Amino acid sequence: MSKKLRLLFSLFRIVIFVMGFFSVQACVSHLKEAKFFYAQGEEFARAYQTQEAVASFKRALQEAGRETESNPSAQAYMLKGLAQLNLEMWEEAKQSFLLAHSFGFDKGEEWASQLTLFGLATTLQEMGLAEPAARVFKSLLDKSKFDPVTRLAAQSYMKLGLDKALQSERQEKEKQLRDLLKTADKLIVRNFSCGFCHYLQSQVFSHLSEFGHSFESAVIAKEIGLPTEQIGRDNDNQIVFCYQKLKETLDSVQWSDFESLYQEWMARWGWEDPKRPPWKKR
Amino acid sequence: MDKKSVDSLVKRVVSVFAEIFPQHQYLYFPLISAALVWGIRRPDAWREQILSWEIWPDPEFIPTKPDAFILAFFENDPDLVKIYRSEIKKKDLDALREAFIRLYPLLGLEDPFLSALFTTELETKKYRDIVRAFDARVDQARADIAALKSRPKFLEALKTLAEELSALSAALLSQSDVQRSLEKLIKIQIKETDV
Repeated sequence: MSKKLRLLFSLFRIVIFVMGFFSVQACVSHLKEAKFFYAQGEEFARAYQTQEAVASFKRALQEAGRETESNPSAQAYMLKGLAQLNLEMWEEAKQSFLLAHSFGFDKGEEWASQLTLFGLATTLQEMGLAEPAARVFKSLLDKSKFDPVTRLAAQSYMKLGLDKALQSERQEKEKQLRDLLKTADKLIVRNFSCGFCHYLQSQVFSHLSEFGHSFESAVIAKEIGLPTEQIGRDNDNQIVFCYQKLKETLDSVQWSDFESLYQEWMARWGWEDPKRPPWKKR
Repeated sequence: MDKKSVDSLVKRVVSVFAEIFPQHQYLYFPLISAALVWGIRRPDAWREQILSWEIWPDPEFIPTKPDAFILAFFENDPDLVKIYRSEIKKKDLDALREAFIRLYPLLGLEDPFLSALFTTELETKKYRDIVRAFDARVDQARADIAALKSRPKFLEALKTLAEELSALSAALLSQSDVQRSLEKLIKIQIKETDV
């Protein structure tokens, strides 16, 4: 199961609790049963009891299916879609998410709506439908107010965008990268303290061979902090890569200025070698 | 780092591992190594760092790195230059990218779990062997770990290890120094456990 799906399911757990999905008032019998079996499947999956998890997701799917027949609603289709995602029934999950969205969610259920869209985009991506997946991720980026969904959507959208750019001809590639840069800029304007967004921006600048900008973004990302140790290390490597590239391209005066600035950052981070962060092998 | 404390800690953890999964000795070093490195660097996140490796690769952007970054990765390492001379000379980015996706987590990010999983090939610098064996070996380790995670004793042993290691001042040593000592220690412990 992909990392994105795991994160999606974790988010769904949050939504279940926040929205009081288990409240008696909000539930009728099949829906209640579907939620129960879905939550049970999640518990089994977290404990790596795969067979039991699959059995629970099948029961959840069955109950959600009955609910959609007797009393169709956005919630019922969302649950059905999530159960199908867990069972890797991509095409069916896509249909369920589309139906969930078409029913619409009540006021106060925006999180569920965004999560449904994210589920739909992830399903499309798993099915190899990169273009429509990218469009849904982009729409989430523009509208989502739920930070975890925004971050996941940003990561997926940038990844798909870079995949596409890498396969394009030079001019088209440049245009696509500029669009990605605009997206990264927008994310940063919305939330400057998102280190991961600066990391994304640095990656795109690097594709555009704008190493000065890439360096600046990577430094900001490092200063703010990054979500995982591996991404932090990759960001350090990006800093070193930019240092090397700038050494090749800057004239002697510019290089001298840059190098003194770099020395200051090195001192701040405790680096002894400009090309070797301390975690690297000696 | 207090060597005696580490010795005794490793001994205890290896004996617990030997009890829980005696048939998967190849995982002892990668797991303990990951616990050591991530446990020290981010003690509060040991579970996430050690147990989330199965959703590797992270970051997801490794396959979409720019050509220039990939070329620099190969050109800056004298051993890689020797081994991939022909691809570098021809600027065969398709072949280099395929190799990069597998080598960068080990040589570029120095992922402690993966480095320990390929310790023999890394020591002998057989990088093409790593590229060939990477997918199968990582998939196997991923499957074996997934099966182990449902055993509470396994998680408990890793938790103890990460917590106790983070209390030691092992951060003063480099990751590679620590890993070298650890590998020796674990081999000794495995032998003793087998006897």
